[in-house]
Amino acid sequence: MTKKIVINPVTRISGFMEIQVDIENNQVVDAKTEGLMFRGFEKMLNGRSPFDAVYFTQRICGICSTAHSIASTLALEDAFGVIPSEQGRYLRDIIHGCEFLQNHIRHFYQYTIPDFVKLPEDYPLFKAEHNDFRLPREKNERLVKDYFDSLYLSRSAHEMLAVLGGKAPHNHGVFIGGITTQATTDKIIQIKSILHSIYKFINDRMLPDVYTIAEYYSDYFSIGRGYGNLLSFGCFNGYKDLGTLYVNPLVYTGGITSVFNPDNITEEIDYAWYKDTQKAGKPFEAEPEADMSKPLAYSWVKAPRYNNLPFESGPLARQWLSGEYRNGISTMDRTIARVLEARKIASIMNILVENLIPGASVQKEYIIPETGVGKGLIDTARGALGHWLKINNQVISFYQIITPSAWNLSTRSNSYVKGTAEQALIGTPIKDINNPIEIGRTIRSFDPCISCATHVYSGGKHINTIQTVP
Amino acid sequence: MSNGGITCPEYKERLNTAARLVDTAKTQIRQGVLRKKNLVWLELTGCSGNIISLLDGSNPDFKYLISQMTHFIFNNSLSASEGQNAMEQLFSVIGSDYILAVEGAVATKNNGLYNIIGRLNGKPVTALEAVKTLGEKAAFVIAIGACATHGGVSAARPNPAECVSVQRVLDRKVIKLPGCPCHPDWFMGTLAHILLYGEPQLDSMDRPLLFYSTLIHDRCPRRSYFDKGIFAEKLGDKTCMFKLGCRGPVTRIDCPIRQWNEYVNWPIKDDTPCIGCAQFGFPDAMEPFISYNTTREVER
Repeated sequence: MTKKIVINPVTRISGFMEIQVDIENNQVVDAKTEGLMFRGFEKMLNGRSPFDAVYFTQRICGICSTAHSIASTLALEDAFGVIPSEQGRYLRDIIHGCEFLQNHIRHFYQYTIPDFVKLPEDYPLFKAEHNDFRLPREKNERLVKDYFDSLYLSRSAHEMLAVLGGKAPHNHGVFIGGITTQATTDKIIQIKSILHSIYKFINDRMLPDVYTIAEYYSDYFSIGRGYGNLLSFGCFNGYKDLGTLYVNPLVYTGGITSVFNPDNITEEIDYAWYKDTQKAGKPFEAEPEADMSKPLAYSWVKAPRYNNLPFESGPLARQWLSGEYRNGISTMDRTIARVLEARKIASIMNILVENLIPGASVQKEYIIPETGVGKGLIDTARGALGHWLKINNQVISFYQIITPSAWNLSTRSNSYVKGTAEQALIGTPIKDINNPIEIGRTIRSFDPCISCATHVYSGGKHINTIQTVP
Repeated sequence: MSNGGITCPEYKERLNTAARLVDTAKTQIRQGVLRKKNLVWLELTGCSGNIISLLDGSNPDFKYLISQMTHFIFNNSLSASEGQNAMEQLFSVIGSDYILAVEGAVATKNNGLYNIIGRLNGKPVTALEAVKTLGEKAAFVIAIGACATHGGVSAARPNPAECVSVQRVLDRKVIKLPGCPCHPDWFMGTLAHILLYGEPQLDSMDRPLLFYSTLIHDRCPRRSYFDKGIFAEKLGDKTCMFKLGCRGPVTRIDCPIRQWNEYVNWPIKDDTPCIGCAQFGFPDAMEPFISYNTTREVER
């Protein structure tokens, strides 16, 4: 007998999401992930000044705003024909690294930990209904302490970002050519000092914390695999003097790693709330209209595909593709990879900081071309992010954004192939159907950002369900 | 960090105001003078960047907020519970003495279906319904960030989700803290004032005068360059950003003396123009954000 479970809201993610799963014999047999907010950023960007995209697109997401400033800047540089200096790239990538650290620390402690650690119940915010908390009291208390102590470190990561970026969230520093200001010696040592504390916290506290969770929840190494298709647009890579410090643009499928080719990306919309005017669209073509009345559609998230296949992107994909971590692909591996990546990013940032020339200025006056086309593809905290834009009469005439969460939390493709996270839920054993904690644990391992993934969706909303149907 | 040589006599005073209010509130709460109030922080159509900004606050920080100042009942980004339980927790405040903090705009298209915040007893709850239900019964409603105070980026033209401000759907006083995002001190200071003395003194647009009284331009550390006519020609320059499109002359907020993220920096100190994110009308009325020499003849 099939039982249906609906979880909405999926808390401790950015944005609004519903999950519907079908359960047979205490196992998940079908799953749908649904993004439930639409804003329409691509439409808003039409007619605006190309420069403004850098600040405007950051407002897609409050926890990973820097990611959008980086991708839009890369797209503008492509369209303008500007090649940033190496110093410009170092400075910009240091800002980007700060956002990785902020995101990963907050995602691990504030979003993930409450699934596994019993937080003090005298805080109404921490009231939890399930009782699958397995850590012995002493270890549980250590992780509770680190939940609170981590708040200082994630905040410091944003402080470090603001030293070069002006403020966070929604920085002013990332711009064409690199960043706006100069890294003078006082700023360099300020960053080094904060970075030192963050590295120490990740190494001494966060890593032991994630391994403690892995020890007591080892069943999650065999839950949440998905397709095992991994993709990265690359980041902290291809420096003239420093080479690749992290990961190049690569894809992994069927046991084979190959070089990523941006021409192989398409977006499908059969099961998303958009007018069905095209089949699989290329990023520079597709700009569908919202349509909530479409019968089979169930989400604002479209279905990006690479060579027509769904892919996972994010920390585990990068750790795997760069050869840093190849233990496995699962809910727990994803969580561990994120923490390992935080340490990796901190050490990369240290290299970049040591290669700065104090006081170097990387700005000049830029002229908007009459017409232009540009794309900015970069791996960010949550995974592969792409911005594609066109300029006509010196204003934006087309803008397309495909976010990491659109890859990970996508709807079905036109041929009904499930999205990555939907597939990852299949086969998950559910112990207590009234408290299906297993589902949220796997979904959160992808660090969904539905604010990002549903940036362009519109429409109304199907109703017709359902709590637990016995 | 240096404060750019500011000598304004009210500088220290203003920097410390929020911290002092919070300290007083804390002392009084401990002495039993004040009772902690329930707080609900609703995220609607936006980027959830204001709750992240809140986590970036220090003295008071988030831990202090939830342990010493309020019973923090619900927030989508931080609540441990999920699904039906989370929604029950959210609506459990009705009937109690609670403060409603809202970030994000209210999507009104398709009767609010462009933003579903959860399901209660199987039924989808739109952001529109939630803010009306919770907003009417709250002791105080605080709209946090540009989207909540006036629609902000969520309502930018052509406003595909037909987003409006929180005030537009509530027939009651809404305290407004515009900013993209809202600085954690603006919220914490406002909250502390409510806990201590009740509603803070507001201007005609319901912004607390404590933070929103003075134009950026009036307290800008680069004001002397403006007065002498020395203007930046590109980002990264150290002089007045006016000709690059700076919105400091029309934006009322205390960024120049407060600064951001542990008070280390702010946009003009980062050698960029202010984009007016704390002023009503942001973003559409503030664009273009960056233009090289606005006093040149516009080529079209």
